Amino acid sequence: MPIITKLGSLGPLLFGVGFIAPLIAQSMDAASVSAPLGLSNIAFGLAVGVTMGVIAWRRGSWV
Amino acid sequence: MSSPITNEGMVGPTSDRKLLREEAAIAQKYMGRFPWEIVAWGLGNIVLWLSLWPLAFTGILPLWAAFLISTVSIALCYLPSHDAQHSTIAAEGSKLRWVNELVGHVSLIPLVMPYRIAWIQHRQHHANANDPELDPDYGYHGDNWRQAVWNGIKYRQFGTQAGLPKALERSDDPDLERAVAEGSVLNLVYYVVLTSCAWSGYALEAALIWWLPRHLGSAWLTTFLAWAPHYPYKETGRYRDTRAWKSPVGTILSMGMEYHIIHHLFPRIPLFHTAPAYWEMRELLEERGCRNDRPDRRGAR
Repeated sequence: MPIITKLGSLGPLLFGVGFIAPLIAQSMDAASVSAPLGLSNIAFGLAVGVTMGVIAWRRGSWV
Repeated sequence: MSSPITNEGMVGPTSDRKLLREEAAIAQKYMGRFPWEIVAWGLGNIVLWLSLWPLAFTGILPLWAAFLISTVSIALCYLPSHDAQHSTIAAEGSKLRWVNELVGHVSLIPLVMPYRIAWIQHRQHHANANDPELDPDYGYHGDNWRQAVWNGIKYRQFGTQAGLPKALERSDDPDLERAVAEGSVLNLVYYVVLTSCAWSGYALEAALIWWLPRHLGSAWLTTFLAWAPHYPYKETGRYRDTRAWKSPVGTILSMGMEYHIIHHLFPRIPLFHTAPAYWEMRELLEERGCRNDRPDRRGAR
């Protein structure tokens, strides 16, 4: 179980990269929206996902 | 915080024994039958929810429809397990115990809530309902349903130190270690499924079949199962910590929780029998000074 506990402590970061980033990118693709600053949708998704994950990780909460 | 009010001493000892005998005699009539409805609900609901995945991924079912069905399905997935937690389907040692345990475990998968952990937490709720320190469901309190939903969202956050983490800390359950291990594995499976789907091009499907419905279903569930029957969370004691109430959305949409007082008094009465047991026990409950916010069948209080 130690590996699961370790992963759990990084939960928000992993969730930001693993789920939020592709979710943002694919939502933008579905809505035919382009990312700003010439970024690809997935790069934009990763930037937002990582930022949200770091904030949630530091605060201990997504809200 | 001021001490919660209790109802101790509302009736004398002789009257107390007499009322208890009468309550128990009524309750006995509603216990013991195999609750096939809840078994069909639990197993049928998990099959329905699992079937949404291939149906949506292959395009047979539109994603918006899968989202709506999944949200309803997840909102409905706790109560069959709740009956199983109280062994109302089959008692320990009985021939059909495996059905009880099967329903208990599988019906909770969409909520990502392990059965054993749910039972550890729920047992502490029954023992300490409305106690701000000891009731793991106290975090769902609120002056109105909007506040309760918001409190619930905050209460379910991964970093919360109240509620479940405290309940697990206090627990002396012999299955605690196993329960925590099952919880870790279930959570890992949830994240692996979501991220695998997302990086394979199915992020919207995963979000709309599991992630978002899980949050919406949890909010619906905790509003009706935790908040409404225990509102305003001010009193403790067997006859005052839960109330009978009339739901503005009706009995079905509130999942029978208008009669939750019967469940707290006699947890072995299956969900489908709490309403008839309430109507039969109603006068005794009034005599007890129970919190009855439900009008009688003629509309009078």
